[in-house]
Amino acid sequence: MIFFLQEQIPLPNPPISSAPPVQVNAILTDINPIVNYLPILLLLIIAISFPVVALNISSFLRRTVFDQAKLSAYECGNDPVGDARERYSVRYYIIAMLFLIFDVETVFLFPWAIIYDQLAIFGLIEIFIFIGILIVGYYYAWRKGALEWV
Amino acid sequence: MQSLNLNYYYVLPHIILSITGIMSLLFGAFNKQAHRDLVFINSAGLITAGVSTYRLWNLVSSNAKDGPLTAFSGMVVLDHMSLAFIFIFLIVAFLSTLLSLNFLEDEDQSPEEFNSLLLFATVGMMLMASAGDMVMVFLGLEIASIATYVLAGYRKTDLRSNESALKYFILGSFSTAFLLYGMALVYGATGSTNLETISNAIKSGNNAITAQPMVMELLYVGAGMLLVGFGFKISTAPFHVWTPDVYQGAPTSVTAFMATGPKAAAFVAFLRIFVFTFAASYSFQLHTTWVNLLQVLAILTMIIGNIVALSQTDIKRVLAYSSIAHAGYALIGFLADDWISVAFYMLTYSIMNIGAFAVVSVMAGKGDEKTELENWAGMGFKSLGLSIALLVFMLSMAGMPLTGGFMGKFFIFKTAWDKGFHIIVIVAVLNSAISVYYYLRPMVMLFFRDENETNPTPLMSWTTYVTILLALAGTFYLGIMPGRLFSLLEVAKDVLVK
Repeated sequence: MIFFLQEQIPLPNPPISSAPPVQVNAILTDINPIVNYLPILLLLIIAISFPVVALNISSFLRRTVFDQAKLSAYECGNDPVGDARERYSVRYYIIAMLFLIFDVETVFLFPWAIIYDQLAIFGLIEIFIFIGILIVGYYYAWRKGALEWV
Repeated sequence: MQSLNLNYYYVLPHIILSITGIMSLLFGAFNKQAHRDLVFINSAGLITAGVSTYRLWNLVSSNAKDGPLTAFSGMVVLDHMSLAFIFIFLIVAFLSTLLSLNFLEDEDQSPEEFNSLLLFATVGMMLMASAGDMVMVFLGLEIASIATYVLAGYRKTDLRSNESALKYFILGSFSTAFLLYGMALVYGATGSTNLETISNAIKSGNNAITAQPMVMELLYVGAGMLLVGFGFKISTAPFHVWTPDVYQGAPTSVTAFMATGPKAAAFVAFLRIFVFTFAASYSFQLHTTWVNLLQVLAILTMIIGNIVALSQTDIKRVLAYSSIAHAGYALIGFLADDWISVAFYMLTYSIMNIGAFAVVSVMAGKGDEKTELENWAGMGFKSLGLSIALLVFMLSMAGMPLTGGFMGKFFIFKTAWDKGFHIIVIVAVLNSAISVYYYLRPMVMLFFRDENETNPTPLMSWTTYVTILLALAGTFYLGIMPGRLFSLLEVAKDVLVK
């Protein structure tokens, strides 16, 4: 899989100032480009150590009283263990799908807005077609009664 | 790199069908009980799309010297192959629309989603046919597949329909993952997803981005993955297990659609990538490798499909295994690098299969309850016309002369025999002989058994009647006078730029 890494990674341009550009960073980068990813490793270590440290410290400080409700898994008030074949309202899925249509599809508008100046009138027409199709979907869902809760 | 060539005229059939799909969705939302109106809307859209495809065919023919027409930076490629398959998809969608009216009205299912999903699936299939880029193949495949998954589960309260949709969805996604991984590996090796660039890269042996010699192992593994992915979609032998369950559980009119349309679409993408891009003139070694693999797959597919069909007792399962066997026959056309015989085969296969499923949907009655062959005992004289139509379709699938199935098989076997693939043609002919047994067994049940219960005479609406008549006319036309259509395709072969 070394094959995919064969592309040359361009080094940053040398600084314009005449001061000698001897920096630890640059030397490390010359040795191995993977050193650039060191901050991510540091972030990972901090992220793992934070909850571990916080939980351990609080376990020393707090009073420990256990009861039935406290020992069960936190599930927003639902019974965490039960039959899988339970009846539930299908409405939830309709709301989830409406969310997909109107929230996630709106994500497509952001890339368009960023390069709007380059796409100009062509991009405007295309995005209106896109929004038009979304409106048809919205109207369809409305007519079909997906928005009526009871 | 081509310029961003936005040419909406080249995708006019796709646009027309998309608009028709949205319109039928809205029309159904406005009107209750719009079953019949929607058939007219769909038919109008399909016929308009057919006219614009015909104009594109003429355009491609007149521009033949400059090679295929491309648009949208090489994403869309129009040549005779893509347009021929687009015609097949339009015919399939038209017949399925007519056929489904009976099912939708009898069981009081909502028609607008059905009709628009049918059209959206057709648009996806058409995108696969006109794809010039692996990304486009994938996109078209997904559009077609997702719409078909929903259609398979259209009988919402029926457990078998649910099972069919779920199995189709899980195995379909699984195969798509194979396909996508194969595409990624081919991209890694050649440095492009554009099929023309890929073929140039294979010819020169260099990666298109780095201009370094490409890693051939990566290309071979990628091609193998693509083979597995397409194998799932067209249900070749080791990857066929989903087919019978899915075909059996889905409503019969949906089965008619998905046994023909998406299968033909997978075939055209398969042809585009393997026969056109991994061609012998670009890399002889790669071509030999996949031809040898396909030979094994085709023999396995034919034998397993036909042998297992012998022991089936459910007519829809019989037809499912027969469709597996037919995929094996059509694969023989790949070996000879001949897309024309494959296209002709898919056309005859689609027409006779839709006809057979139309008869099955009427005989099985409301809710597809009587699909077991036992239930059909002694029904032959009660519904003589239907039984004779079924006989014609079955004989056509078995490859009886004077029917379309014979001509399709004949052209495929002939080109393969001329190219020197003798063993596989002999195996295929022997398999056709085996298949006659299970194609004629429904006839034995219909005519030579006593009625075990008093079955009511099956009723059908006029659209089903028209579907069966059109399929009969098509089967006989392709069987008796295939010359005109075939010479049209042969002209296309001369001007095809590979």
